[in-house]
This record gives sequence, C-alpha cells and structure tokens, in this order.
Amino acid sequence: MSARLADRIDGLAVAGLAVGHGGRAVLRDVAFAARKGSVTALVGPSGAGKSTLLRCLNRLLLPLAGDVLLDGVDTAGLEPCELRRRVGLVGQTPVMLPGSVRENLAYALEPATADERRLTHALRAAGLAPAFLDRTAGALSGGERARVALARALTRAPELLLLDEPTAALDADAARHVGATLTGLARDGLGVVVATHDLGFAADVADQVVALRDGTAVVGTPAELLATAPHEATEPAS
Amino acid sequence: MSRPLAQLLASAAFVLAAAWLAHRQRLGLSRSLLTAALRAAVQLALVGALIALVFRVPGLAVAFVAVMVATASLTAGSRMRALPGSRRIAIAAIALPALSAVGVLLLVGAFAATPRATIPTAGILIGGAMLATTLTGRRLVEDLGAGADEIEARLSLGDRARDALVPLTRRAIAGAMVPLVDQTRSAGLVTLPGTFVGLVLGGASPETAARVQLTVLLTLLLVQLLSALLTAELVTRAATLPGERVAVPGATG
Ligand SMILES: Nc1ncnc2c1ncn2[C@@H]1O[C@H](COP(=O)(O)OP(=O)(O)OP(=O)(O)O)[C@@H](O)[C@H]1O
Ligand SMILES: [Mg+2]
Repeated sequence: MSARLADRIDGLAVAGLAVGHGGRAVLRDVAFAARKGSVTALVGPSGAGKSTLLRCLNRLLLPLAGDVLLDGVDTAGLEPCELRRRVGLVGQTPVMLPGSVRENLAYALEPATADERRLTHALRAAGLAPAFLDRTAGALSGGERARVALARALTRAPELLLLDEPTAALDADAARHVGATLTGLARDGLGVVVATHDLGFAADVADQVVALRDGTAVVGTPAELLATAPHEATEPAS
Repeated sequence: MSRPLAQLLASAAFVLAAAWLAHRQRLGLSRSLLTAALRAAVQLALVGALIALVFRVPGLAVAFVAVMVATASLTAGSRMRALPGSRRIAIAAIALPALSAVGVLLLVGAFAATPRATIPTAGILIGGAMLATTLTGRRLVEDLGAGADEIEARLSLGDRARDALVPLTRRAIAGAMVPLVDQTRSAGLVTLPGTFVGLVLGGASPETAARVQLTVLLTLLLVQLLSALLTAELVTRAATLPGERVAVPGATG
C-alpha cells in the first residue's frame, strides 16, 4: 500500500515490511492494515513467521526493513513502553508472573487504574469468573492461563491487541468463547490481530485474513482463505 | 625422619592407597586421581617457589596480584561467554570489590603492608569475588535464555527493559550469596576454615587465627555481594538493547 494511504489508517498499517532474525529475512514485502474495530487473522504454517511478525508490530523485535505506522505515526518514533501499552501482545506461551491472578492483572499498572471493577471486567471478557482473582496464577491450567494472559492485556485498555495462538490450549467450546470475545471487543472499537493455525477459527472471527506463504503476505477475505484452504498447510500447534 | 620427608612420604602413600583402592573397586578413577595429585604437587611447588621469590622482591607482589585477578577473570568470564563483553564484565566485577577491600584493610592497618600478609589476603578475596561473579553470571545467562518468554511478557505489559530483568537479577544475586552465607554461618562448627588452619599450623595463637579468619569472612561478605551486584548490573547493561528490548544470549534475534 502506498505511504499516503497508510497515513490515514486508524490502527496499524504495515508497508514494505521485512522481518527475521539475525539479518536473515523470514518475510519480505509485507503490507496490510489492521484497523481499529476489526479482526485480522494471521495464518500460515508453523515457522511461517507469525510470531516474528507480531513481535515487530510492538517492537520487541525491530523490522529489517519497512515501516509500521500506528494511527499514521511511525512506531519507530514512539516511546517503546507507550507503544506497547497502546498495542498489547499476548504471547504464544502464556507466562504467569509470580503471585495471584489479581497481581498478574494489575502488573505494572498505576494503583489508581488497577481498581477491582476494571480487573473483574477484564477477567469476565476473557471468560473467567471474578473468583479467579485470588487464585495463584502458577497453579492454573493451560487454558486458564491463556485466558488470564488475555485478561492481563485487556486491563491495560489497549487500542490494538495482538494475540499469538490464543486458542492453542483451549477446547472447542473455550475457543468459541474467545472468538466471540474478540469479535465483541472489535465491535467496541478494539483492533485485533490474531495469529492462528486454525483456519476455521480464522474464518469465524476475522474480517480480513493475512496469509503468510512463500516468505510474504497475501491479504484477502475469510471466504477467499477458505477457497484456497486445501493448499494451506495446517500443522498442529507446536 | 625429618618433618618435610615425613610429609612427602605420608601424602604419597595416601594417594597411592586411594589409587589402589579405586583400581580394586573398578571405579575407573585411579588414573585421574594420580594425575590430579601430580598436578597439585607441581602447581604448589611452583607457586611456593614463586611466592618465596615475591617475598624477597616486594615489587613483584603487584604483578602477582595482577596475575591472580587475570586468572580469576578468565575463569569467570568463560562461564558467561554467551554474553558480549563477558571478560570485561568479569574483570570489573572481580577486581573492583576485591582490590578495594584489600586497599581498605591495608589502609586501616588490619594487615601489615607486606607481601607475606597482602598476597594471601588478596588471594582469598579475589577467589571469593570470582565465585560470586561466576555464580551470578552463569545463572543470569541461563535464566535469560530460559526466561525469554517471561521477559517478553513483561516488556509487552509496558515494562522498561531494565525493569523486566530485575526479577532475574535478584534471583541470581540471592542464589550466588547462599554458599558464602552458609560458610560464614557454619564457620568453626562444621569445618575449620583455611585461614584459621594455616595460621595455627604456622605457629600463630588460636586467638589470632580466629580474629584474622573472622576479618576475612566478614570482608568476603561485602566483597562477594558487591561482585554479584556489579555482575548483575553489567550483564543487565549488556543484555538491554536500544528501544527497550532485551537480547537473549545465544539467539540470533
Ligand atoms: N530467536 C530466533 N532466532 C533465530 N531464528 C528464529 C528465532 N525465532 C524464530 N526463528 C525462526 O524464524 C522462523 C519463523 O518463526 P516464527 O516463530 O515466527 O514462526 P510461527 O509462524 O510463529 O510458527 P509457529 O506456528 O510454530 O508458532 C522460523 O524458521 C524460526 O525457526
Ligand atoms: Mg509462533
């Protein structure tokens, strides 16, 4: 997409992006926009570069080339901690920090913003009852951890949310619930980018699909994705 | 029989007995027992001769201490090779606390400013600083690799790179201090520490030996804590990248 178009996008806009490790590109010429109020699914086989691309969007990793714009502003010029508060990332392995679920949700928040209402609201949005607040985070099941990690990102009230395989540890019912949560959040104005192996999940939740293949990204609609699905490798979560 | 001859014969007999026993039990240990004993004999004879020379030529004492610092830094540095600048980190974390403490002890007159007093004291403090640096550095390198997900999670929640590393550095420092705290707590009860034994064998009174030993142990507490803190600080600096990012040692990212 042209730089002028990207200037006007409300959300994340990626242009000419190359990402990789140690100078070796995994993806090149990636261009797409993730608008606030919409869900973008990032699909591709294991090793395609989904996690690497997500890390570049909140600058845990620097792109090898190209730009990432947030509301038309180059993210390279934003203060990194500020960028990461506005663009939340829930990583592929849900990490529980020491202490209770409450301490996890309130982590690095100003005490004033970490009030009970906000925490329970985030917990409910992630599909957990408020009673979970006082559970020890380290003792939760894999699926519960995934939801606490989602709630923890939501307490920061991000403008965009990047999720790396949020349904990998969930059963079908829980995955559907997370999908409904994401579409609900998008309806309320959040921009969602979700990396997933699960093409069915992607088709259910996404307004737009970014398919990573052959070292670059192809942007399309969920219907187009399903039409080409037989060619898509869908290995199980690693 | 003269005493030196008796010492040589007794220790040779003991190590041969150990090697024979290991051979009989098929432990596959007898050869390494003998070579270790031989190495120790050669190293100690050389060091003995060298120190005798240093005692006669006090100017050499400075060079001797420098060699101790260099050897300790090489050893500690190799344990955290995965980090850029590991050797420089080790030199600073060992030399600054250990040599400052030697300086203070000499300045207040706790030890005579002679090679005979300075070299063993410096040796113990440098050795302790090396231990603290190695333990802290090795643990940090391991945890930086194993804890990459946790660090990324903290960064993603809005932490600065330095803050995201604090839990790791705290754990590494506390872990490194455990052996020394244990050693200090059990001093004189479980084992008689080396300085005490050496002084008593050398003819000092048990009171003097105890006093010197206590001075060394308590000085070590601060020296090792400072070495651990310095290591943690320098590793933190080496591992944080511009833009509030953290470099994971070994990864090419
Ligand atoms: N820290 C790293 N250093 C070097 N190479 C890396 C690093 N992390 C990932 N890679 C490589 O980059 C490529 C893309 O990895 P990435 O984790 O982004 O894939 P992915 O699409 O998220 O895969 P998965 O679905 O298995 O999570 C892979 O070939 C991987 O081996
Ligand atoms: Mg991944």
